[in-house]
Amino acid sequence: MGSIVAVNAALALALLAVPALWGDFMAWQIGLYLLYGVAAQGVGLAWGRGGFLPLGNAVFFGVAAYAAAMVLNATGGALLPNLLAMLAIAGVLAALAWGLAALVFHGRSDSGPFFSLITLALVLIVAQLAETNPSITGGFNGYAGFAPLAGLDPYGNLYYAIVALVVAVSLSLMALDRLPAGLVLRALVAQEGRLQLLGFATNRVKAWAFAGAAFITALAGTLYASHQGIVTPQATGFVLSAELVIWAAVGGRLHPLGALFGAVAIGLLSAELRDILPWWEVVVAMIFLLVVLLAPGGAAELVARGARALGWQRRIPQPAPCPAPSSRAAGATGALRLEDVQLHAGAVHILRGLDVSCPESGILCVIGPNGAGKTTMLKAITGAMRLQSGRILLGERDITNAPIHAALDAGIGRKMQIPTVFGGLSLTENLQLASLAGRARAGDFLHPATLGWQSPALARLMAHPAVPLAGLSARDAGSLPQGHRQLLELGLTIAAEPQILLLDEPTAGMSPEETALMVELIRDYQAQTGAFVLVIEHDMALVAALDARVLVLHQGRNLAVGRLDEVRANPAVAAVYAGGEK
Amino acid sequence: MEAALLIGLNAAWQIAALALLALGLAIVFGLLRILNMAHGEFVMLGAYAHVLTAQAGLPPWMALPVCIGFVGLAALAVERLVVRHLYDRMFDSLLATWALSILMREAVELVWGRAYRNVPLPVEGVTQLGPVGYPSYRLMVIALIVIVFFALWRWYRRSLTGVRLRAMVSNPALARASGINTARLSAMAFVTGCVSAGLAGLILAPVLAVEPNMGLDALIRSFFALVVGGLGTLEGLGIGVAVVGGLQAGLSAAFSQTAGYLGVLILAILFLWRRPDGLYRRR
Repeated sequence: MGSIVAVNAALALALLAVPALWGDFMAWQIGLYLLYGVAAQGVGLAWGRGGFLPLGNAVFFGVAAYAAAMVLNATGGALLPNLLAMLAIAGVLAALAWGLAALVFHGRSDSGPFFSLITLALVLIVAQLAETNPSITGGFNGYAGFAPLAGLDPYGNLYYAIVALVVAVSLSLMALDRLPAGLVLRALVAQEGRLQLLGFATNRVKAWAFAGAAFITALAGTLYASHQGIVTPQATGFVLSAELVIWAAVGGRLHPLGALFGAVAIGLLSAELRDILPWWEVVVAMIFLLVVLLAPGGAAELVARGARALGWQRRIPQPAPCPAPSSRAAGATGALRLEDVQLHAGAVHILRGLDVSCPESGILCVIGPNGAGKTTMLKAITGAMRLQSGRILLGERDITNAPIHAALDAGIGRKMQIPTVFGGLSLTENLQLASLAGRARAGDFLHPATLGWQSPALARLMAHPAVPLAGLSARDAGSLPQGHRQLLELGLTIAAEPQILLLDEPTAGMSPEETALMVELIRDYQAQTGAFVLVIEHDMALVAALDARVLVLHQGRNLAVGRLDEVRANPAVAAVYAGGEK
Repeated sequence: MEAALLIGLNAAWQIAALALLALGLAIVFGLLRILNMAHGEFVMLGAYAHVLTAQAGLPPWMALPVCIGFVGLAALAVERLVVRHLYDRMFDSLLATWALSILMREAVELVWGRAYRNVPLPVEGVTQLGPVGYPSYRLMVIALIVIVFFALWRWYRRSLTGVRLRAMVSNPALARASGINTARLSAMAFVTGCVSAGLAGLILAPVLAVEPNMGLDALIRSFFALVVGGLGTLEGLGIGVAVVGGLQAGLSAAFSQTAGYLGVLILAILFLWRRPDGLYRRR
């Protein structure tokens, strides 16, 4: 926490020196860009940490400004009621934002572009409402004539209220990055599919990011009313919305302070140059386009790269290790059963009445030619693809077409065919995420100690002398070689100790030594937890090494079940693999 | 009876205008999976072709070749410099085209100013349809759109280029392996989509307020039509513009412009939530 406090104290001191150094008018001007900067920090939060781009964030800024102005008018600017009203306004807007994001991202993870356009439509509609209802908003002329907050002079002491907001928001955003909640947000941007399999409803994670963005932007809007003494439809317009995005992009969306500096720097430059250079706005748009194409991390990323080149390393303190609470996935019981499962993808009929009965414990190998429906079966079990008919049961519980994020709490962990790990996050951060999967409850995400949790299953895997991940804790997980990634993904999957472990070609791309290690780790996990493990595999030597029952799939149906030698002797299986009469 | 006919004609006009606006966005999204945020700005450029023609002292009918050349060149430059590097990266292409749209708005504002421009109707007068008189230009536009859509649909299903395009949409790698030059085909599709947007601006300029920010409205309304109908097919586009154009015309007539807009927004959110693939889904 030390460095965060130091950075923000320096920020506060620098801002507090502005009136003394450059006078009250400059402070007033910088105050405006600081408010815009806080609003842009909201955009940065949604974009950099939520992975989606709100193109109409001024809607929160403007609506909050109108609402705050009306409360100021009604109360004559009295301090306490207005402070409470400001929080209430931001809270209500954040709740609306949460609902909107949760709806639009419900059931599909690729609606980001659509979400951007919806926020853009919102800002156009609200601006139109503000213009066409002059009895409420004052129309084009704006809403004016209200007292500023606590009678603070916009050209005097109000500046210090703005600095307080800036420091509070910056401190919170930087602290968030160190909390489990911040880690989950970064994981969301890095690898949404894996986060879902770790039991997170990602539409709700995005909704929280958007709610945070709306809250911050709205708070800036409430102070904007006092600062300007008038609120016009431009405060909720698409021009301001676009500028918020430009400031966040150019300043750097990935750093909590990037958008703030972007807004102040571009704002001050524009104020100076707009009247001298008629083509200044074209230059700003050009810079934005170049940032998007060539330097997606913005100025903050360039600074960070420069600092790394000079040998400055950011050291992040690690919380003390402690045992994690028990996992919800470990408590699940019941055998997995598929009954007459039919699944089409477009015109292709993949699963055609698949019936599988799994034991509650043990290992089952699934083999079958390409296109037999092996991976699709796993997708159906975890809810990644919807069945047209049939049922999937866990004991007595029907989990047919349940959402993906519900699979882990039901006791199901899935390792993908192409290993998915959180690239861009360090190995340590990957393991921290895995250790809180299936265990953390709402409050734990705001508690730094949660990052010290140790999952017993994961700790066992990491402690195995042959597992080559020790000593790589600071490495970017996306830069690990394939064999390491396979092992890491196995670790991510077993950390929550799922009672049903689905492994899709866990040894693909591995050397013989790594393959032997993988077999040992799988058998060890099964023996330790008594779980049921399903392994899709093409390598018959590996199937023999696992010494398990074998299920042969063919054309979306169950062709044969039994021990490996029994299945080998089965003429139907031989016909599928070697050709011949059917 | 008269009132019903008038309402029907107004709805047909709204739907036809929306279909014209949305076609370019549907082409670019359907064929390239790029949500072109600068779509509206290409509509705007098309509308400014009238201004450009008048400034150059050319006769008004020259606006058509000027529009195709002007918008086509702009689209070609955009494809070469920006979009080409962003195929298969939907989010990045959204952001880059958004940045581009701001650049285009600011550039047009710098050159032609922020003032509204009036574009005269090329065909004045009213056509009597039984008891009701309706502007002839609107009737011509409606007829044109019906013909263009039918021709386009036939062409996409029957022609060799249509087959190549459909191959590229369904499997770009296999299409390349089969000897289809997808880079050229993509560039062609992008330019065609943008020119179609420009022509929509050219044709609708007399009935729209021509100014640098006019593109936003065109983009939003086209996008909603595609969400409701189903992104990426001509059939979906047809259904979407009918529903969205009809709803907006109805709500606007009954309440206000804002109500029409709001109703369409809510419909689009409901669709994204409950039926993200839209109304038309190819089996």
